[in-house]
Amino acid sequence: MADAALLQHRAEQAAAALPPLLVAANRVAATVAQGVHGRRRVGQGETFWQFRQYQQGDSVQRVDWRESGKSQRLYIRETEWEAAQSVWLWRDASASMDYASTRNLPTKRERADLLTLALASLVLRGGERVAMMGTGVMPSHGRAVLPRLALQIERETSTDLPAIEPLPRNGQIVMIGDLLAKLEDIERVVARYAAMGLNGHLLQVLDPAEETLPFEGRVRFEGLQQENPLLISRVEAVRAQYTDRLARHRAGLTAIARAAGWRFATHRTDRPPHTALLSLYTALSADVRK
Amino acid sequence: MLSLGALALASPWLLLGLAALPALWWLLRVTPPAPRRIRFPALRLLLGLEPQEETPSKTPLWLLLLRMALAALIILALAHPLLNPTAQLGGKGPLVLAVDNGWSAARHWEERRSAMDDLIAQADRESRTVVMLPTAPLPGGAAPQPLSMLRPADAHAAAAELSPMPWPADRKAALDRLAALDLGSAEFVWLSDGIDDGAATDFAQGLQKRGPVRVMADDADALPRLLATGEIDDKDLTAQVRRADGTLPAELYVRATGDDGRLLARQQITFEAGAVRTTARLTLPSELRNRAMSIGIEGEASAGAVLLLDERWRRRPVGIATPRATGTAQPLLSGAYYLEKALAPFSEVREGDIATLLKGEIAVLALPDLSPTGPGEKDALVQWIENGGTVLRFAGPRLAEQGNDDLLPVSLRRGGRTLGGALSWETPATLAPFDATSPFAGLEIPKDVTISRQVLAEPTLDLASKTWARLTDGTPLVTAEKRGKGWLVLVHTTGDPEWSSLGLSGLFVDMLRRIVAVSQGVTGNSDKPLPPVETLDGYGRLDRPSAATATIPASGFADTTASAKFPPGFYGTEDSRQALNLAPAVKTFAALPALPPGVTRMSYARGPEVDFRPSLLGIALGLALIDLVIAYALRGLLSGLTRWKRGSSVGAVLLLAAGIPAHAQDDDFAVRATKGFHLAYVRTGIPEVDAEAQAGLQGLSNILKRRTSVEAGEPLPVNIEHDEMVFFPLLYWPVVDGETPPSPQAIERINRFIATGGTILFDTQDHGESNAYNAAATQQRLRKIAAGLEISSLLPVPPEHILTKSFYLLHDFPGRWVGGTLWVEPSDEQVNDGVTNILVGSNDYAGAWAVDNNGRPLHAMVPGGEPQREYAYRFGVNLVMYALTGNYKSDQVHVPAILERLGQ
Repeated sequence: MADAALLQHRAEQAAAALPPLLVAANRVAATVAQGVHGRRRVGQGETFWQFRQYQQGDSVQRVDWRESGKSQRLYIRETEWEAAQSVWLWRDASASMDYASTRNLPTKRERADLLTLALASLVLRGGERVAMMGTGVMPSHGRAVLPRLALQIERETSTDLPAIEPLPRNGQIVMIGDLLAKLEDIERVVARYAAMGLNGHLLQVLDPAEETLPFEGRVRFEGLQQENPLLISRVEAVRAQYTDRLARHRAGLTAIARAAGWRFATHRTDRPPHTALLSLYTALSADVRK
Repeated sequence: MLSLGALALASPWLLLGLAALPALWWLLRVTPPAPRRIRFPALRLLLGLEPQEETPSKTPLWLLLLRMALAALIILALAHPLLNPTAQLGGKGPLVLAVDNGWSAARHWEERRSAMDDLIAQADRESRTVVMLPTAPLPGGAAPQPLSMLRPADAHAAAAELSPMPWPADRKAALDRLAALDLGSAEFVWLSDGIDDGAATDFAQGLQKRGPVRVMADDADALPRLLATGEIDDKDLTAQVRRADGTLPAELYVRATGDDGRLLARQQITFEAGAVRTTARLTLPSELRNRAMSIGIEGEASAGAVLLLDERWRRRPVGIATPRATGTAQPLLSGAYYLEKALAPFSEVREGDIATLLKGEIAVLALPDLSPTGPGEKDALVQWIENGGTVLRFAGPRLAEQGNDDLLPVSLRRGGRTLGGALSWETPATLAPFDATSPFAGLEIPKDVTISRQVLAEPTLDLASKTWARLTDGTPLVTAEKRGKGWLVLVHTTGDPEWSSLGLSGLFVDMLRRIVAVSQGVTGNSDKPLPPVETLDGYGRLDRPSAATATIPASGFADTTASAKFPPGFYGTEDSRQALNLAPAVKTFAALPALPPGVTRMSYARGPEVDFRPSLLGIALGLALIDLVIAYALRGLLSGLTRWKRGSSVGAVLLLAAGIPAHAQDDDFAVRATKGFHLAYVRTGIPEVDAEAQAGLQGLSNILKRRTSVEAGEPLPVNIEHDEMVFFPLLYWPVVDGETPPSPQAIERINRFIATGGTILFDTQDHGESNAYNAAATQQRLRKIAAGLEISSLLPVPPEHILTKSFYLLHDFPGRWVGGTLWVEPSDEQVNDGVTNILVGSNDYAGAWAVDNNGRPLHAMVPGGEPQREYAYRFGVNLVMYALTGNYKSDQVHVPAILERLGQ
């Protein structure tokens, strides 16, 4: 009893601390959930799925006597498949994520947080276990997980890339961030986790300004992570080169993901979060269903 | 000071700073603007990128130009440009201001006054004394005070006291006065009136002997004009207008003013180029002419621009002595009648007996065949002639019989002579051409003037000299003798047609005019001294004479010209006043000649001095502020501002777009709408909704074309705020969220549309999504839009409504959705033939009808599929038929009952 009360209390506390993010995440998740239906197939689980006629070889224990009593036949009660899987979420919380090119746009970090939590919410609804990478907490399921995740997301600051930690096989990793680190570093991380037998998804969240470099004239660019400032005398002249570089970076990311059997997607903060979430979730549930 | 026309630079050497501009250009070009600072996470991707183009790192050209302009402005401002710089004094010692203040200075006197004040103020700043030297004599010709050096403050007062005088200046006298003053080295400024009175060059030279001279003179078009006496005896009021400089053509107006100050006539006068004098001719009826007191040049206030008129300009009064008592029974045949008719056009005619006429003031006394016989009449007449009166006698039967009396210029033979009578071989005589010495010289003689009788003069030695007109045979017809100041004139025939046809001819009028002109005005005979009555001041205003004005001595008026002693004005008594005009006193009237070398000439005609330095510096400051803002903007410190700017510019563009003349659009719209039958929908301003309505009505139009005889054209959007709706029998109005409610004016128009028989289908389009909340919101929306529309209560379409019959037989009205109720106004047979104008549905009819460009339906039907679409189309057809034909099909509603009654 005490535990439950404590849990409830903490959940409430978390919810109180983070209502906007939670509410937003739930709302985004809700819109996506409508379009995606669960894993409608027979399997290990507790929820009733269907009756089917007894066949040779079925265990007698699985006969549903109440249903069988209504007719001359024997019916087996089948439950819906509930193969809970662990989903490890990671999102970039480094300083470079605190960026929004205009006041109207959310920062990349806000969008990444929202996506992470909404995805967690969706995954939890699906019955999967969820945990944040790097926290040391093992994946768990249930409604109460979400506020805790929210707290963790709020508090956690991380580096550009997730640290390598031993994770159980057959899990799913979702990495959300700007993924602007060097390709070699990303490849190393991805390769390590892929070697551990984990399936993964990379979602690159970028600000539109990062994609198009809309500045003009003489600009001194200042990094967000204590990099040396860079003076470019005519930004419009390097725009093409920049977009080319970005495209190559993305191509590299795609290649890395493909090599590991992972998926790579991009998202811009000026687009609605639903699309990214939907594609992410569809991919994720497709993987889970495998 | 560097002077460029009206513009001058106080410190021109500072313009050398402009030479530094290229250096500044170079400096600005190589110094790029400070870079904007932008935080950017994807910095790693930018590392090592080098822009290919080099130039942009320099300051942009427009900014460069802005800064160059800024620098140039500052340099210009430092050079201190002045427009119309006031004369800068150059010399040392006392400043002598020679001021022309004769009559000709009155025009633009204020400019002279301010020039004086400017100069005195400058002298004040330089602590110099001032000598004021007015060139016009003092009133009454009083001896002026000796000249003295004045402190500038006193000089200001002296300048304020100066005013233009109504008489000509006397520069020579002024020069003499100056000679009496020991000045040492002095600077001279001659504020001239621009008129050469004959002594201008001498005056300038005289001044130049004493020191440097600068002359200020009016421009040619600002010189004064002078009005001189014109032809006094002309039948019009005339005046001669003179000007000093005749190079340019000019126009001015001359006006005649009455004694009560009323404007009597106004006439435009044009000076041809090169002409310095012209004649102003004011045509006036005689009554008005006699009331004219002065002629003036409009808009010019000087004594020379006013011509005073006295009795001499009046029509001469002529008295016609009529026979006493006896009279004549036939007035139209009397000589007096012809005389009066001939005299009336140009003179004032009085009639009466001689004594009465002589009492009044007349110029000419005409005696038609009448001898003065009354007691003392002859003596009075003789006396009157001596005093200047003119007696004009006509011959006649009585005179011919009576023979000589004293009042004849020549002695006559008794009897007279008859030409061309019944018993004569001779023909009536005609007139010989007039002598050059005769007053009638130049008059044309009509051929039909014949003289059949005349009285003959005794031949005497002086007969020829007394003769003014004679017949072709040499006998005198008009003789005259001067007696004293007056004339005695005899016409040797009658004024009436009894003896000659002269009285019937135009020549008679002209001859009489000449005779009257010869006569002297009755007032010109005063022997009394003439005190001033009213005199002109320097600005040409009549005023009480000053005490200094002298009285013109007796019989000296004719020789008097206007001067300081006798200013122009009226002299005499109130009753009989004589005008003394300025013009005769002006001997020379020309523009200022070329001045001796070394004399600087300047013009008054300058605007006030304008100092450009403050405004230039102000503009430079403004540019500097703009530059500052730009500099901030380039560094990205004004992002908020630029966003605002972008928004506002978009707004401005929208405003501009909205401001495109709506008129032409209206016409276009009307033409389009009336070229055929069009379905129309109300534009909601929401693109998706409008597009769907367009597609829906297009689909319905296709169906109508295919199945009915209604040839509907392309559906048209209707802007209820602007467009005319009366062209459309049916309006489809999607009621959706976000629609702006119509303005009161639009409501008014919609009401009119409904009242004139238009039909509107409101479609809330939301039946498919309806729930309790939605329904309330829809209701709210509908209420908002339809607020103010004259709609009575609605009810669901009754089963036998025309809508169910008008083309297809229908029971319900599906759209994209099914089940939404279609509401109509209850039909009232009295109003609009029972055709209801308002339909409100929620089934999204446009959605059901909507087709794409290939005619394929756009939306799925819920839930009924294609049959439901068919019914939706049928409803659409019924609706259009209903809107077009009204209750035409309502008879059908009763067909069953009729059939039943017929017993079939």
